[in-house]
Amino acid sequence: MKIAKTAAMLVVALCTMSVAQPSARDIMIKVKDRPDGDTRSSSMEMKLVNKSGNTRVRKITSYAMDVGADTKTIMFFLYPNDVKGTGFLTVNYDDVNKEDDKWLYLPALKKTRRISGKSSKTDYFMGSDFTYDDIGKRNVDEDTHKLVREENANGHDYWVIESTPKKSGEIFSKKLIWIRKDCDVVEKVEFYDKLGKLHRQMVSSDIKKVDGFWTVGKMEMKNVQTGHSTELLFLDPKYNIQLDSKIFTVNKLERGL
Amino acid sequence: MSKIRINIEKVNEKFENFAKFLIAHRALLLVAFVALLAISIVGMKKIYVEASWDSYFIEGDPMLIETDKFKETFGNDYFVGVLVESDHSIISPDNLKLLRELSNELRDSLSYSDGKATSITDLEYMLGTDEGMEITQIVPEEIPTGAAGLAEIEKRLAAKPELAKKLISSDRKQSFINIKLRPFPEDSVWKAEGEAKGVKAEAPDMKTGRETDEIIHKAKYAPLHPRATGMPYLSHQKLKFIGEEMSRIFVITILCAIVVMFLVTRSLRGIVSPLITTFAGVIMTFGLVGYLGLYMDATNIMVPVILAFAVSIAYNIHINSFFRKNMMLTGKRKESVLYAMKETGWSVLFSGLTTIVALLSFLSVMLKPIRSVGILSSIAVAFILLVALTVSPILLSFGKDKKPNAKVLERGDTRMGVILNKVGEFVLTHGKPIAVVFAVITVISIYGVTKMEPAFDVERTMGRKVEYVNKMLYVAESEIGSFYSYDLVIDFGTNDKAKEVENLKKLEQLQEHAQKYPLTKRSTSILDILKDLDRTLNENRQEKYAIPETGEQVAQLLLLYENAGGSEASYWMDYDYKKLRLMVEISSYNSNELQKEIEDLQSFARELFKDAKVTAVGNLPQFTAMQQYLEVGQMTSFLISVVIVAVLLMIVFGSVRTGLIGMIPNIAPGIFVGGYLGLCNIPLDMMTATLIPMIIGLSVDDTIHFINHGHVEFDRNRNYREAILRVFRLAGPALVMTTIIMVATFAGFTTSAATQMFNFGFVVFVGLVSALLADLFVTPLLIKKFKIFGK
Repeated sequence: MKIAKTAAMLVVALCTMSVAQPSARDIMIKVKDRPDGDTRSSSMEMKLVNKSGNTRVRKITSYAMDVGADTKTIMFFLYPNDVKGTGFLTVNYDDVNKEDDKWLYLPALKKTRRISGKSSKTDYFMGSDFTYDDIGKRNVDEDTHKLVREENANGHDYWVIESTPKKSGEIFSKKLIWIRKDCDVVEKVEFYDKLGKLHRQMVSSDIKKVDGFWTVGKMEMKNVQTGHSTELLFLDPKYNIQLDSKIFTVNKLERGL
Repeated sequence: MSKIRINIEKVNEKFENFAKFLIAHRALLLVAFVALLAISIVGMKKIYVEASWDSYFIEGDPMLIETDKFKETFGNDYFVGVLVESDHSIISPDNLKLLRELSNELRDSLSYSDGKATSITDLEYMLGTDEGMEITQIVPEEIPTGAAGLAEIEKRLAAKPELAKKLISSDRKQSFINIKLRPFPEDSVWKAEGEAKGVKAEAPDMKTGRETDEIIHKAKYAPLHPRATGMPYLSHQKLKFIGEEMSRIFVITILCAIVVMFLVTRSLRGIVSPLITTFAGVIMTFGLVGYLGLYMDATNIMVPVILAFAVSIAYNIHINSFFRKNMMLTGKRKESVLYAMKETGWSVLFSGLTTIVALLSFLSVMLKPIRSVGILSSIAVAFILLVALTVSPILLSFGKDKKPNAKVLERGDTRMGVILNKVGEFVLTHGKPIAVVFAVITVISIYGVTKMEPAFDVERTMGRKVEYVNKMLYVAESEIGSFYSYDLVIDFGTNDKAKEVENLKKLEQLQEHAQKYPLTKRSTSILDILKDLDRTLNENRQEKYAIPETGEQVAQLLLLYENAGGSEASYWMDYDYKKLRLMVEISSYNSNELQKEIEDLQSFARELFKDAKVTAVGNLPQFTAMQQYLEVGQMTSFLISVVIVAVLLMIVFGSVRTGLIGMIPNIAPGIFVGGYLGLCNIPLDMMTATLIPMIIGLSVDDTIHFINHGHVEFDRNRNYREAILRVFRLAGPALVMTTIIMVATFAGFTTSAATQMFNFGFVVFVGLVSALLADLFVTPLLIKKFKIFGK
């Protein structure tokens, strides 16, 4: 009887444990909501490399501020010289029904233009191998998530999640995501094409805590089918810095920082 | 010379002994034969048939290197295009809904889709507004049903006239969908993937073509009458058409051959034996092709098969006619087999070898399909020889002896032999007129040869009677559809030069120049994007549809374009801004005019961009290069086949003089065929280009039979007149029969709706008949005149 009772307790305990295990969707939400301060700034170096080894380098500096649930961002190109001073100002609204505000300043034309409408999320960002979705925050519920397995590698524990898009018209048929359990940071993603073949592979590295926030120092995306790759280096990241909300204006966009 | 002269009697004895060996071991040999067939059938499953023009070039060809470089820089230049049509305006709710559905399905379901569809319902574009820019669609997400909504679509089209005219016709009844494709993987990659899965992988272009075909033929899209275009679709349709056509022609070939063989041999065995030989030879050839992974092209895949059929029947007829005659005279089966092999074995073997050698001359042509015909046909003829000289005699040896045929014994000859004897007498008495006629025809033909010209466009090679060609040309010739294009690449060699304003202005001049040509339908370059962006940033004012004023402006517009998700800039400017690309689409294909236009545009570009390298690439320049290869290749393969066949004839006849004289009736059919092609304006293509060496290879058989038999007969009675008449009686019937059967075999091609196949079948007829006539009317005169067997 005692044995039976113990066994029953063990079963209950095991069941409770499995309930305690977060669902794949919960994990994805944790990743999305990982704290990143109220304000932040960083410099970004983007290096594009094609199959033949030719490279294009771009340097950008950016500042961001959370205003309530919304986020304002201003960024300027520093390099190459012929695009230096080109700036973008965006206000991302948390309300999905509200269209983001975007302004663009082109110094060579001395014009600021408000951009309305939105471009497709499957488009690649500035000629890189990252789509707007990859660098932005794709809505968790646009995909169906499945926890495939848990893994231990390189001294870290990972959740491996398979995400399948709910809508057709996406450029991937599924992606496999490796998430570090200790910091909720995505360390690796494999994107598969419609034929089920590996299409792109993203790897984050130089993952460290900066000002108490988990930060990715380098992201690399390689399109294994075309041989094109993109390296993003995030230099000098800062969080919760003193920022005047006036810098997020068209006026500032035109005058530069 | 007489020392190295081959002793034909001795050789014939060897063949007789060989036949004895075959009959003694016939059961074992048949088992080995069946085993070899089984192994070959397994190999046949590994075959890949190519249908894309890309695969025409030999590895390392400068054109191929340029094309590969081009694809590496600017991506896959292949696309899937679909022209839709309606009897009322496309800009109506039901048509727009269906068009969007079709466009989305193509974009999402094609395995090699790049995820981008360009059509009026799926085009994201930037529209300049008073306060900025709007990233929007021509047709909104929610398709409007009211007049106001539809009018707004018209307004948006009117705001970008350059874009609109690529997407919708001016009467609004036709619209064009363009699906960009991802770069296709290397052949080794997709083939290996198929092998890993244990299935036969589908080539990327075929897969794309098949998927497109399946989508556009869905019943729900019927109101839009979709017609597809683009190279992958064309290749798929071509392969499908040729597959069906091949089966049809093959059936006709077999039926024709069976009927003619029955009429000629009047025996079941006379039909069965050549059929077994042929099928076995063809199966073994394709088995070997499968195992070795040899290249096979859809266009002329039928040539080796039908050629194998023709030679197989010819060899069997030779063996069979001697067998049959001896059977009639003696009634003894095995003895008749030995006699047939003794009398014909060497001639069959040697004529087979000369055919192989003539076919191998195709290796001198720098185009894979032609080389492939050479290799495949040679292998096929080799296998046919092997089977005809081993299996056929064995098959003939089974059965009982018969009573001798009293009538033949009485007459001593077959009916045909008697008729041919009369022909022989006529020839020997009309030497001069025959020589004059021969000379006149030769001179006219030589003039015709100078008029021969190659062509590769589907209209001239396949013709509009072929349904898919007709549909494809309908799209190509429509106001908005497109099919043929060429590209001009300007390589500055230095980074950032391509975005300098000065160079962009020159590009504009070049584009304007190209636009003036009669064949140009439209042209595209980076300027289309830059001018459109400049206009967009300037409140959509049409006068600002111009090249930006400074280099910084160009750079910033390109950055804006990329940032707004634009990805097409990379199609027109390379990564390091070193190269510019100008694409010219043409409305109809006219090889001579087109070559002139491409050359003119190249020289104009070289003048404009003095320090840059200007190269023409794309399908049309590829065609031009192929046409040049074919012209040169045609000449070299002709010369090589003539020289090698002449050398072989010299060896077999043991005399340089006899060899050279023997070449006269063999070169003549080649010249007649060339003359016919030139005078009838039949273009050289992947099929007709194989004709001349093939005709030489086949006609030499008749000459060898004629001269060999003549030699034997002359040695027996030392009288030219008597020897020649005996050849007419004894070998003549076989020569006539083989020609009739070969012509009948190739006649299947003349039932085809495809121009090149019809021409092929008909020209083979011209070639083989002229070869026979040359051998019956000219060879005897040459033998007699030059006393080639001695005095």
